[in-house]
Amino acid sequence: MSDSIAVIRLSGELEIGRKAEVAAALVLAGNESGVLLDFSDVTYADSTTLAEMLRFRDEAAKAGVPVVIVIGSKQFARLIQYAGLGDAFHIFENRGEALTELSRMAQA
Amino acid sequence: MKGHSELRINCRARPEVASPMRHAVAAFLAATGQVDAESSDDILTAVGEALANAVEHAYEGVEENEVELFARLEDDTLAVDVFDHGTFIERAPRAGRGFGLKIVEAIARDVSVNVDNGTHVRMIFNRQAK
Repeated sequence: MSDSIAVIRLSGELEIGRKAEVAAALVLAGNESGVLLDFSDVTYADSTTLAEMLRFRDEAAKAGVPVVIVIGSKQFARLIQYAGLGDAFHIFENRGEALTELSRMAQA
Repeated sequence: MKGHSELRINCRARPEVASPMRHAVAAFLAATGQVDAESSDDILTAVGEALANAVEHAYEGVEENEVELFARLEDDTLAVDVFDHGTFIERAPRAGRGFGLKIVEAIARDVSVNVDNGTHVRMIFNRQAK
């Protein structure tokens, strides 16, 4: 039985020049009960990152692994809204709230 | 006489040039002193999407070409043109893709895309957020 929360942390500008790096980072280890994507220190993101986030969300859903995301940048938060993806992710502004929700989802 | 400010940049169309080109636009907007921070963030988001689309052609087997950006701020309007002189690729819909133009349209006052000779994206922004 899996019992660990995985934290994937990326920082800086997540744009097309880092597409391969983002894709490589967003993978399931296989034994996690939930995943926190910690983007607190991401200062900019573009739609290539959104595409990878959606791909990871779908892979996690197939594996039954809940995912929450912490976003600190207003630009990143607005990007998600502009793309019409406001309801596509579980997004939080701070890590504590995200972990609380992730624990609840993992136990549900 | 009314004043205006312009910026023109040419780079090889490679993924790694999108970030420095966007930063050049950020510096241009800051230098004008006429665009507030939130509007600047949104404008740079849209410009970043247009640049990403242009340089992504390099990933898809098209002969490497240049990407050109031209920005002009006059009165209350900022016009940004992104030119890619490569061959326009009709992409089949793919899951999780196709958000770029939607994002640009959500931010810009007006957007046009011309694919007659490469790809030309023209974005018109108000100085204040939409």
